Amino acid sequence: MAESKPTISFHDFTSCEGCQLQVLNCEDELLDILGAVDIVEFREAIDDKADSYDVAFIEGAFTRESDRKRLETIRSKAGIVVALGACACTGGLNVLKNFRGLEKSMKTVYGDSADWYETSQALPVEAAIKVDYKVHGCPIPRQEFLEVVTSLLAGRTPRIPDHPVCVECKLRENECLYHKSQYCMGPLARAGCDAWCPSYGGRCYACRGLISDPNNQAAFDVLEEFGLTIDDVLTEFRLFNGVYDVSQPPTEARVEKQ
Amino acid sequence: MLPQILPKDKLADFARFLMGEYRLAAPVAKGHQFAFEFIETPEDVGRIRMDYDITILPPKKFLHPMYEELLRFGGRDPATGEAPIQAEPTVILGAHPYDLHAIATTDAAMRAEPADPYYATKRDATLLIGINIRGYVNDEQFMADMRTTEPPEGGWDLFMTDLGDRYYVEVGSDAGSKLHQAAGMFTQAAGDDHKAKQAFDNEKASNLPKRLPYDTRYLPELMSESYDSLLWDAVARRCFSCGTCTNVCPTCYCFDVQDKLNLDAASGVRRRQWDSCQLHTFAEVAGGENFREHRSSRLRHRMFRKGKFIYEQTGKPGCVGCGRCSVHCVADISILEAYQQIADEAAVSAMEIAAAREESQ
Amino acid sequence: MSQATQQPAEAVSPYLPRAAKIVEAKDFTEQEKYFRFEFEDGQGIEYLPGQFMEVSVFGIGEAPISICSSGGKRDDLEMCIRSAGDVTNALHELNVGDTVGLRGPMGNGLDMDAMEGMDLLFVAGGLGLAPCRSFILTALENREKFGRVTILYGSRTPKDLLYAYDLDAWRDRDDCEFLVTVDRGDDDWTGNTGVITTLFRKIDRPDAANTAAFIIGPPVMFKFTVLEALAMGLRKNNIYCSLERRMKCGLGKCGHCQIRNVYVCQDGPIFSYAEVMRLREGI
Ligand SMILES: Cc1cc2nc3c(=O)[nH]c(=O)nc-3n(C[C@H](O)[C@H](O)[C@H](O)COP(=O)(O)OP(=O)(O)OC[C@H]3O[C@@H](n4cnc5c(N)ncnc54)[C@H](O)[C@@H]3O)c2cc1C
Ligand code: SF4
Ligand code: SF4
Ligand code: SF4
Ligand code: SF4
Ligand code: SF4
Ligand code: FES
Repeated sequence: MAESKPTISFHDFTSCEGCQLQVLNCEDELLDILGAVDIVEFREAIDDKADSYDVAFIEGAFTRESDRKRLETIRSKAGIVVALGACACTGGLNVLKNFRGLEKSMKTVYGDSADWYETSQALPVEAAIKVDYKVHGCPIPRQEFLEVVTSLLAGRTPRIPDHPVCVECKLRENECLYHKSQYCMGPLARAGCDAWCPSYGGRCYACRGLISDPNNQAAFDVLEEFGLTIDDVLTEFRLFNGVYDVSQPPTEARVEKQ
Repeated sequence: MLPQILPKDKLADFARFLMGEYRLAAPVAKGHQFAFEFIETPEDVGRIRMDYDITILPPKKFLHPMYEELLRFGGRDPATGEAPIQAEPTVILGAHPYDLHAIATTDAAMRAEPADPYYATKRDATLLIGINIRGYVNDEQFMADMRTTEPPEGGWDLFMTDLGDRYYVEVGSDAGSKLHQAAGMFTQAAGDDHKAKQAFDNEKASNLPKRLPYDTRYLPELMSESYDSLLWDAVARRCFSCGTCTNVCPTCYCFDVQDKLNLDAASGVRRRQWDSCQLHTFAEVAGGENFREHRSSRLRHRMFRKGKFIYEQTGKPGCVGCGRCSVHCVADISILEAYQQIADEAAVSAMEIAAAREESQ
Repeated sequence: MSQATQQPAEAVSPYLPRAAKIVEAKDFTEQEKYFRFEFEDGQGIEYLPGQFMEVSVFGIGEAPISICSSGGKRDDLEMCIRSAGDVTNALHELNVGDTVGLRGPMGNGLDMDAMEGMDLLFVAGGLGLAPCRSFILTALENREKFGRVTILYGSRTPKDLLYAYDLDAWRDRDDCEFLVTVDRGDDDWTGNTGVITTLFRKIDRPDAANTAAFIIGPPVMFKFTVLEALAMGLRKNNIYCSLERRMKCGLGKCGHCQIRNVYVCQDGPIFSYAEVMRLREGI
């Protein structure tokens, strides 16, 4: 990627385009970035014209079978594929439509996920093609987008946190929502947003997905003690992480001993 | 260096005096809780809450900032690196005795050879003005057991006790002595003041009962005995490995080091940031091996650091009993409870040994 | 004690690396590359075998790497680096004339003078040969100080063998015994095959009470090999290994390399088996 200016492209699937807005919001930084890269494609919805891209950013969920072809084309032309935003990383809010009603037991959540998806399901981009890096969030934090771009230009792995939002929340010295008798997905959600929501009084819905070793047992215990039913908890989980086991398969190494 | 008196209505003036020469950090309200913050303008002096119960983060955030630049570079060439180490003269006003102890602990850890010049430079440029406590402010504190209810031997400059209409101010260092003289608002404490302080101390002592069933001299040894206990696995089932307990702990100082790139993708800074042994990546190495893969081993490591290792390394308490870790833990994991439980276990094993001996006789 | 009024003299950062030029570079295998560095400031370096350096590439990060050249005071130093991640991959792209940043030497290392008169047994598995080589070369350079010297080296396949020129030199020497084995041979391989412990059957029984062993390799290899050494009667205090942990500062501060109350970057990486046993989480 070092010789000539690296080429990057942006592609749009089912989303609100909020994440591309975040990219455009990086006004000043974007000028610097434009000095270092060539943007060969931006939001060309129908046919992807350029021959190849060093880095392809894909935004939006994979919701129609007809998208598969286009995703595969992008993959074949791209050196590095980056999923941009919750929709692309986990299916995002779109996944909600996958659920007809809320199953009563935990088992269904962690059981075979195939049951959930029928027609017109919303899936992460990863369900169709291999994704190299993910910029999580709904919308994505600008800083993280810039971190990914500069890292890829420098030839290193982008530093994307894999620890809970609570870390950043405590660094911002927020009063914990649990102390205010509200619940919060922070202990399971992936940091990197600088604890956006709790810092402004809202609770975290884990729009940045879950960390790779969430303690689900603890989550159910603690939330239950907090007076929440399994259904409540599932609703929390599903808002952004309905496809949890598709997008973040628990790895062998991190299965708890007990 | 005799004790001094500062009339309460002079506190604001004193704070403003300090702001003339130093950056001033002091406790202020944060929602229903409290936080140390820099007091930026003279009007903000009114926000200072010397009567705070406990802050969310301890004052370590000024001495060992959550993000701290170690060096900057212009590109890959190592010749472009430079590392300016600076500190602004700072006063931390209103640190409780347990936090003064915690600073003494971090002083010992960070100044141990090879000393950390970033910390040392900041610390050398910082004056500490403590404020006394009246008792416990939550169920998770056990400062009496950790012997941190009074300020430590040294390392602080002034220490104030609220006597209602005035502060009784003990002087801990030459710098502290110079400071109160320069402020010109202090008078020497007299007979009544000493008596009132004595009465304060008596009441304080009665408000701070011990909460552990053993003398904490034995804590390191009890910890050793508990190494193989199932307690750690049991407690870890509820643990999110979220790192809150270490971030809020005044004696935790672990950090990660990362290079932050500028937009040219070449120049940037190498900086450190608070890290936590509770996070699953903390002991993971390239290739994926993780030396503390299980939550329980991470939790045990923290408990051992606090109850044993830091003490063995620095000779100072690794836990000052402030209770922050437990109060802020979403899963209600209590270090006080854990320290109580290991005593029960040790007692059981002692009984078992005694019983086994009797049988064999 | 606070001294807020005094402006302290500007401190020197222990994080600032010294610039070092690559004066020699060789690909050993697809994954392992050998480098020899010289410091740009001409000041040279003094270190003990077993010590390591933090190797720095600005913008990417740092990685702890063992010094593999013989100990002492010298102008240059050598390393063998496996590409395992960001920093090590970036290092693999460098060649003669490029510069890197080096901090160190770090860690305890081991002064081999303390072993004068003893027999030495070196057992290296895979990349463990890198730190082990520093001990071996130091011993061979001071050959008269030691009794018998035995070197055992195990590698996965013949293609993975490191330091081919050293291996030839050791094989040719008649003042040391050198045996090598591979887990899996190939068509050209005529030497030993099998795990490294099989080599113990092929050497003469050592004078156990008077032998120091250096067992350096992956944890699994260490576990099995230490059994062989103990079975031969070696003392726990005379068996040494090098522990690997995640490292960030190398200064005993960041906490990453901690095993219970020990900082591997300061108190290690070289530990006796007696110490490792006490640590419990060591291997
Ligand atoms: C005392 C010691 C001696 C070593 N000697 C050698 C050697 O001679 N040759 C060699 O090839 N390798 C050696 N290693 C391993 C080498 O340090 C790691 O492979 C390297 O740090 C990986 O860094 P990375 O940035 O390429 O990988 P990444 O996976 O990108 O790692 C990111 C960061 O995590 C930390 N880290 C990851 N893995 C390790 C690790 N195994 N040890 C310490 N920190 C780690 C580092 O700070 C690293 O920069 C040694 C490790 C230690 C502790
Ligand atoms: S992730 Fe959120 S902001 Fe981004 S496109 Fe999807 S819905 Fe919109
Ligand atoms: S508010 Fe949420 S994110 Fe913040 S500490 Fe509490 S649980 Fe964690
Ligand atoms: S706090 Fe939670 S919901 Fe809010 S931006 Fe961060 S991850 Fe998303
Ligand atoms: S704060 Fe509680 S849940 Fe979080 S890591 Fe610490 S003990 Fe575990
Ligand atoms: S371990 Fe908990 S109680 Fe002890 S000093 Fe740290 S935060 Fe306070
Ligand atoms: S590497 Fe930081 S303490 Fe050892």
